[in-house]
Amino acid sequence: MTNDEGRMTKDQLTREQIWKGLEPLRGNGDSKLLTHLNSCVHCGLCAESCLFYMATRDPHLTPARKVDLISSIYKRYHTFTGKYLPALVHARDLDEASAREMVDLLFGACTLCGRCTMHCSIGVDISYLVAVGRNMLSNMGMVPATLQSTVQAAVETGNNMAIPTGEFVETLKWMEEEVVDEVGDPAARIPVDEPGKQILYTLNPREPKFFPLSIAAMAKIFYVAGESWTLSTRMYDVTNYAYFSGNNGEAALIANRLWNEMNHLQAGSLVLAECGHGTRAFRWESPNYLERGFPFPVMSSVECIAAYIREGKIQLDPEKIKTKVTMHDPCNLVRCGGIIREQRYILHQFIRDFVEMTPGGTDNHCCGGGGGMLSMSEYNERRMKAGEIKAEQIRISGAEIVVTPCHNCVDQLIQVNATFKLGVQIKTMAEIVADALIIRNQNP
Amino acid sequence: MAVSDAFANMTWYEWIAMFALGICLGALLFHFSRLIRLGRPKDRAPAAGRVAPAVIYAMTGAMNPAKKETAYLHLPTYVAGILYHLGTFLSILLFFLIWTHLPLPLYLLLFLSGFLVVSAGCGIGILCKRSFRSELRALSNPDDYLSNILVTLFQTGTLLTLYLPGLRPVYFLLAAILFLYIPISKLRHVLYFFAARYHLGLFFGRRGVWPP
Repeated sequence: MTNDEGRMTKDQLTREQIWKGLEPLRGNGDSKLLTHLNSCVHCGLCAESCLFYMATRDPHLTPARKVDLISSIYKRYHTFTGKYLPALVHARDLDEASAREMVDLLFGACTLCGRCTMHCSIGVDISYLVAVGRNMLSNMGMVPATLQSTVQAAVETGNNMAIPTGEFVETLKWMEEEVVDEVGDPAARIPVDEPGKQILYTLNPREPKFFPLSIAAMAKIFYVAGESWTLSTRMYDVTNYAYFSGNNGEAALIANRLWNEMNHLQAGSLVLAECGHGTRAFRWESPNYLERGFPFPVMSSVECIAAYIREGKIQLDPEKIKTKVTMHDPCNLVRCGGIIREQRYILHQFIRDFVEMTPGGTDNHCCGGGGGMLSMSEYNERRMKAGEIKAEQIRISGAEIVVTPCHNCVDQLIQVNATFKLGVQIKTMAEIVADALIIRNQNP
Repeated sequence: MAVSDAFANMTWYEWIAMFALGICLGALLFHFSRLIRLGRPKDRAPAAGRVAPAVIYAMTGAMNPAKKETAYLHLPTYVAGILYHLGTFLSILLFFLIWTHLPLPLYLLLFLSGFLVVSAGCGIGILCKRSFRSELRALSNPDDYLSNILVTLFQTGTLLTLYLPGLRPVYFLLAAILFLYIPISKLRHVLYFFAARYHLGLFFGRRGVWPP
């Protein structure tokens, strides 16, 4: 039964929306989806691995509930019991109520950090299922407008902050002056659109918009390392918020721009700025979005800096930073990206008083700002509540500086710092390395 | 009595149980062959680590209670769960023993009976936890309760039938119900558990996260 607008009167979703919403559950040709949809036993032990549950103690926010929401819809349409005895397994129709609940739980109460996945007693890839659920909602046009506007900005303007190229270039010129002053070399530069360089370095738009000094910091490192590198004015966005919105088509479009720019500038390798999800979306997901393997090497700036240290291209002064330092591990870079030791190697070169967070490394707690949460202002209160877990970790560490190789985490940690009155400094890896960099003039 | 004799002298209720077991195994085989046919995800991103050691780790080290938060934060539940599952596998083993009338030495019979008492007790404990803790109750569906009840009854039935042969008709019918229920319920995690651990190892292995 439909109303005048062709919408289902019972559940307010059109048949087309439901059809599109169910499409991801029809399977993508491998056994992963089928496996994880059939594996949860509702033990509920995952609750304490989720920062949203830990911070709120709301049983509605446990990872198992999120899995159940998706698998109950799957069962309704794809299993014998769900089709013929739905009450037995609580199989649910995909309707307005279940879709609204999905929006709230899958977008508004999950950062896709993967901590519950790692600790699940069965081994259900919960964050993967949440991503599938987001894909369903994206197909139905139900991505929160705030997150979708960030994706839209990237799709329409080339970067998620819609920074005009002219403004970006002006910022780079300003930062170039900073670099010249700091290294004491008038020939020091921030190269732009130069073809045939060894490295194309791509930024997080938060840098030119809010944290331009982090561009200068990385430029200083490249300068001292004597690197052949360039930025691009056609593509200066390492992020890919479509990965969070669940729209694989838009994610592919955004990723493809970086591939095209690599080809256009004929750079030797691509170095991704400090951005957890950006690194994950490009390094691990984009070859699958685009259905082709990388024809060029890809690395994160953390790996790049570690390589410079190992090769003796840069040296760091252990006398520069004497305060206690801790590190927040970005989930997408560490637990879901495998970059675990490089950042520790870097910090151990020059930080005398380094303390790990507990838990840390692949077991770390998310800062609360991942999964696109920072874009979705409607969930600010829940996000900051979840950030309390990280605040407590920082407080216990006793550190005065928190380093994190992710601009998204930096944003959240700055807010956590202010909200919970931690009184710490938040720095990216490039910033703290640049602070301790032993400057050698490359053009004496 | 040998297996051939057991076949030759099968009662109607044993036939029903064996028929149900055949359906169960056939259905699980269907699930398994579907997983094999679908294969693993085609990941075009270059791997940063090795898959085989990570899959082994996913099945072994990552299950270590010291490494798994869901285990070390909930040790009593974890231990109860392990014992309960061991009791289930033992009961399935004893199902064949009961069917063939193979005698057990007294000391072994007593030991296995003791174990089944403990494991069935764990099953009841897990059922109570699901029933009385509000957050678990909110998460649970009838299948969660029914699966637990059927498996616990099967363990209890196995224990009792070891001593009371007169219960054989009830026991084999109970086993038949359980076997038919496995493939259509959450109990099929007997198969999907291993598939999930495999995929977990595959994911974290390719990304160089596992083994640590």
